[in-house]
Amino acid sequence: MNQSSVYILGGFQTDFSRNWARENKHISAMMREAYEGSLEATKIKPSDIKAAFIGNFAAELYCMQGHLGAFFVDFDPAFKGLPTSRFEGACASSALAALSAMAHIQAGHYDCIAVLGVELMKSVSPAQGGDYLGTAAWYERESAGIEFPFPKLFGKLGDVYEERFGLKDEHLARIAAINYANAKRNPNAQTRDWYMSYEHACQKGQYNATVTGRIKVTDCSQVTDGAVCLYLASESFAADYAKRLGQSLEKIPRILGWGHTTAPIEFAAKVADSEGNPYVLPWTRKAVADAYARAGIRDCWDLDVIETHDCFTTSEYMAIDHFGLTAPGQSWKAIEEGMIEMGGRLPINPSGGLIGCGHPVGATGARQMLDAYKQVTNTAGDYQIPGARRAATLNIGGSATTNVVFIIGFSE
Amino acid sequence: MKIENVLVLGASGTIGSLTGGVLAQNGFHVDYLSRTKSGSQKGLEKAMAQARSEVIAKNITCGDYDTMLLDSCSRADWILECVAEDLAIKQAMYQQIDHYRKPGSIVSSVTSSLALEDLPKGRSEDFQKHFLSTHFYNPPGKMLACEICGQSKTDPAVVDFMADFLSSRLRRAVIPVRPEAGFAGNRIAFLLFARITELAIEHGVEMMDYLIGPYTGRIMPPLATLDLVGLDIHKAIIHSLQDHTSDPLHERIVLPNYINEMIASGRLGRKARDKGGFYKRLESGKFVYMDPKALAYVPAFHPHVQFVEQAKQYIRIGMYRQAFGTICDAQGIEADIVKEILATYIAYSYMLIGQVTEEKYGIEGIDRVMTTGFNWAGPSLIVHMLGGKDNAAALLRSQHLDVPASLMQDTVCDRYLFNAGRYFPAR
Repeated sequence: MNQSSVYILGGFQTDFSRNWARENKHISAMMREAYEGSLEATKIKPSDIKAAFIGNFAAELYCMQGHLGAFFVDFDPAFKGLPTSRFEGACASSALAALSAMAHIQAGHYDCIAVLGVELMKSVSPAQGGDYLGTAAWYERESAGIEFPFPKLFGKLGDVYEERFGLKDEHLARIAAINYANAKRNPNAQTRDWYMSYEHACQKGQYNATVTGRIKVTDCSQVTDGAVCLYLASESFAADYAKRLGQSLEKIPRILGWGHTTAPIEFAAKVADSEGNPYVLPWTRKAVADAYARAGIRDCWDLDVIETHDCFTTSEYMAIDHFGLTAPGQSWKAIEEGMIEMGGRLPINPSGGLIGCGHPVGATGARQMLDAYKQVTNTAGDYQIPGARRAATLNIGGSATTNVVFIIGFSE
Repeated sequence: MKIENVLVLGASGTIGSLTGGVLAQNGFHVDYLSRTKSGSQKGLEKAMAQARSEVIAKNITCGDYDTMLLDSCSRADWILECVAEDLAIKQAMYQQIDHYRKPGSIVSSVTSSLALEDLPKGRSEDFQKHFLSTHFYNPPGKMLACEICGQSKTDPAVVDFMADFLSSRLRRAVIPVRPEAGFAGNRIAFLLFARITELAIEHGVEMMDYLIGPYTGRIMPPLATLDLVGLDIHKAIIHSLQDHTSDPLHERIVLPNYINEMIASGRLGRKARDKGGFYKRLESGKFVYMDPKALAYVPAFHPHVQFVEQAKQYIRIGMYRQAFGTICDAQGIEADIVKEILATYIAYSYMLIGQVTEEKYGIEGIDRVMTTGFNWAGPSLIVHMLGGKDNAAALLRSQHLDVPASLMQDTVCDRYLFNAGRYFPAR
């Protein structure tokens, strides 16, 4: 299929260290700040925006508020009548919003669409939040009555690796330490001022308790309030926009490729599916392979940087071999060789990822895309990978149920 | 100059232990000294709780002055003094460490209220050359501000080195300040606190914290903040500002007598939990409030003022400028109080550019200390939220305050500030 190009014009991420529940803010305040920040950051005008797609997982549960698209209309008088929609795919919600925006642009329906991912999670206790997150799995079978279902599910992912290939906790600790270290360079990262070290991540104790099985506190991503607003546009809009800013179109990155798969919702079914397959999560691998194929790249070595979904250290461990940095089951080699660190052969999560930067569930996919945009436009500041031209994102919902991969950057 | 080993004096206290903890978190070896080893070990516990990690303990050695001062001083590259805020106590400590420290080691005090020039008097030339103030804010794990200032004999290269070190190695928001009592942050904040304590006599504690609440650009209400600071500390800072500063608003730095009486009866704030401060928490979990006239606690009456509630509603949905428009449009005695405090904050902050911070930093130096030291919206952000400097100037004039030239020349207040809403909780 020949499809027209979709450009990414940048956007804005709220500071993920903020506690909007403590600020006593309505979720629409977060959406508004993300939107207003994105105008300032991109110089897009309200009249440029022809539709707004909102990614959000569970505002009905966390905030007793649905119908989020409608709030966007309040942000500017120009938006009266603006078409808006809300997308839900657990932690991949805003990646789904971006996929849909891309399709509308390619179909010629709209030439510039705001993609806004948002989640306000600190409004409830950790136990309550854990229960809400459990609805991203098959709730009755995998979550009901379990205090923190997702650490259990991603702990099991580690168990599968251990059974099939062997897995050392020290490699997971290294993943945590790298993400926290990277986050210290990111002015919007939730943990940028937190203490962390490899030694701390290895240790079990009062301040690094076991959550379940092999998963300790430092293996987990954060409970985060945050929003990201970015813009996708057609080639003709991007050309006009570039002209307006005195840029050349060639300097505006595109979505070069994408992959989107949905695996069976139950984790046990996924594992059963992967018997005999070299990859533990074949549907995640397929999303990666599809994105590579659509982008016309051979393998991960045609990338300069990856922003992946490290909801737990085990999910980043999985992503390393599923992106192809190593043969299946050998992610530890990339960790030991320093491949995934800043300055490594293929850095993963210079932003800090979900562990370091934070994980406002419905905003994470958009945050990854914005960070990919920043990397390839050399605007990532202290966490810039020098000379990055092509970046990949992997956003997963549930226990790797919904998988969305984008390749963002430049063909040459 | 190079820093590897640090000695913290007064490590049993909050600021000493937690600042030492920040150093240990960043890989430096830190000796914790206080009068007793057990006191220093309590400091270590605080540092671990701040870091949420036991691992940092490997970087910390605890001891007492009697047994470890000589050894620790002789190997320290930086001696950070956090002992009691008393000139005689500090000078006595300096006399001892001057004998033991190695030449070229840096000595800094966390004081901001004592006259910096007096502190190292009588000490060796090398001591004075390497002496400065590094004023950390509490708790340093969350408040990143650090005001830095040398005295007349301090080698400027030492100040530059420490500014770079604090910024690049400890992630501090460094604010170079002039050797004025209170530096920048306390000078500005405590003038406002002083006025609010005065207004509390007539309007009550609960009403003042309601009117000048978080929605006006601060994470914590002002009198609740003083309970956290401690009323004894508040009094010391006010006295220092009264004695050692001079400016057109100097007469507003007051200490109402009821605060002396509260201090005399041990009502110092949170550190005297049973006795209370401006607030007192009952066993039921409810708060009662000090009545400054009766010097007794009174039940909450939950104020409700229309313009305040309207402003909070705007803030709750992220419409910050509309909230400040509501405040400006409001009439009545409560509105006048909010306008006076906002106007005084702006006027005083812009007035002090060049006096407490160097001119070249403009309002940004003061913005930085108020945001990272107090979690207050910076004065330039308040001007922005008011709709710009012309509106701000009109507000100042309405409060009979001179409009500083620096306000009318400022361009910082015209800029959009990302994440500005963080300074305006809807409370």
